[in-house]
Amino acid sequence: MNLISGIDVTAGALNAQKTRLDVVAQNIANAQTTRGPNGGPYQRLQVSFETELVKRTASGGATLQSVRVASITPDRTVGQQVHNPQHPDAGPDGMVTMPNVNMSYEMVDLITASRAYEANLSVVKNARQMAMKALEIGR
Amino acid sequence: MIDPIFPTDNYQLARKLLDASVLRHEAIATNIANAETPGFRRLDIAPDFGAQLKASMAAGNLARTVGSLRPQLVEDPTSRSVRPDGNTVEIERELMAMNRNTVEYDFLSQVVTNNIKQMKMAITGRAV
Repeated sequence: MNLISGIDVTAGALNAQKTRLDVVAQNIANAQTTRGPNGGPYQRLQVSFETELVKRTASGGATLQSVRVASITPDRTVGQQVHNPQHPDAGPDGMVTMPNVNMSYEMVDLITASRAYEANLSVVKNARQMAMKALEIGR
Repeated sequence: MIDPIFPTDNYQLARKLLDASVLRHEAIATNIANAETPGFRRLDIAPDFGAQLKASMAAGNLARTVGSLRPQLVEDPTSRSVRPDGNTVEIERELMAMNRNTVEYDFLSQVVTNNIKQMKMAITGRAV
């Protein structure tokens, strides 16, 4: 029994969404990185979530499920080819392979993740209000 | 024989509904956390809890039966998915349900408080 109900479910979701925001930030920061540690252009990372069973409620029935990050995998699609012979990473034909970061995908992901984060935060806020009200019983 | 101190139906009902309210909040927290999980079906309190409560109210034996009533979480059988991933959570609906649930909880805890205050007044003979 938690004083603030549902906090463990929400905490998992907040954590997962924050990881997603971090990855989006990394993708946007590296949108022009043509040489990574492996020598090739940066490959955008994508986060996938999985459910995590938290607990069965005391009265039985369905189980509460939280969310956690399942994996962070690189997107293997090939990036755009740009003709730029002066570029140090240009191939013999003068073409540079740019990272496969698509700014509009990243922005959509960014907004979705931050809205989901806000929604989970408002759950905590309401749970806190309920707990304060419970403490006021009899006063 | 000493009567229970808080035998009124309203008090017993409020106690049980507070439990249900907390459970519903946990269900909503799960729903919002899984708003993007493919195939997730939203959770809610089993609809037969309200029916059982109503039945024992009508039968007039609420004080005796209320202890055995337990609200349970079930996958909401009435929700339909409008999304390709089969998830039945609508975030706006969940946020509305959450706010409504919080107001309900505030109201019920106020009912309990008023019951206790009334009892205090009866014991001490002055307003508290």
